[in-house]
Amino acid sequence: MKRLALTACLAAAVAVAADDPKQKEDLAAVIALQGKPCGEVVSYTVQGANDFVATCKDGNKYRVHVKDGRVVVEKQ
Amino acid sequence: MNVIRPWVGFAALAAACAGPTVPPPSPTVPEKVVTAPATAPAPEPKAAPEPKTKAAPKPAPAPEPAKPAPGKPAPPKVAASAPALDLRTLEQRLKDTSAIGVLTKLSLKNQVDDLVGKFKTYHAGARPPTLSELKPSFDLLLMKVLSLLQDKDASLAREINASRDAIWGVLTDKQKLAEFS
Repeated sequence: MKRLALTACLAAAVAVAADDPKQKEDLAAVIALQGKPCGEVVSYTVQGANDFVATCKDGNKYRVHVKDGRVVVEKQ
Repeated sequence: MNVIRPWVGFAALAAACAGPTVPPPSPTVPEKVVTAPATAPAPEPKAAPEPKTKAAPKPAPAPEPAKPAPGKPAPPKVAASAPALDLRTLEQRLKDTSAIGVLTKLSLKNQVDDLVGKFKTYHAGARPPTLSELKPSFDLLLMKVLSLLQDKDASLAREINASRDAIWGVLTDKQKLAEFS
């Protein structure tokens, strides 16, 4: 039972909804730099270090993360 | 995450290129960010009809440059007043600027690296890319940088914009580019 609770806590910690306007701007700029449609990031969740899932105003969702020193934007 | 280091390449290009001949930045940036097409030279005014009496054309004496009045110091050259874009200063400013977020800086750095890589391919003799193919990529990338900076760090945007031609000059020069790589 303890293990189950621990797992649930870890899972909850993995994706944390956040609401930092500067981070939203940063994510929106990155998505735009990659030439992907978004407009404005309305919300995002933190998946890990430099790993985000951004939700755009137009409904698009992107995973923005850093891999081998490069910023990768993947449509979800 | 070492986001700043890659900027150094771009900063170096911008900083190294800004010489005393760089014109002083205009007070307003936004309209100048997009490369304006070269303005066509104004049509020359029509020459007055030649007089019917043909006289031997006399060469006009060359106008002498205006000499400063004796006793007065010569006016300082305009270029000397242009702000020099110092490499270290620019690097520090790019590090410190809060106009661009960390992820955006890294993403821009990726694109700068990619473009510099293409120029290296060009200098290695491979075709494509040709310079005419690289120019739009350069213009687009610079526009991205300026559009990110112009609202929140206008002075940095102005200095980079003023160095546009000089940066291009470095990128297209194999030796100069090698110095900054």
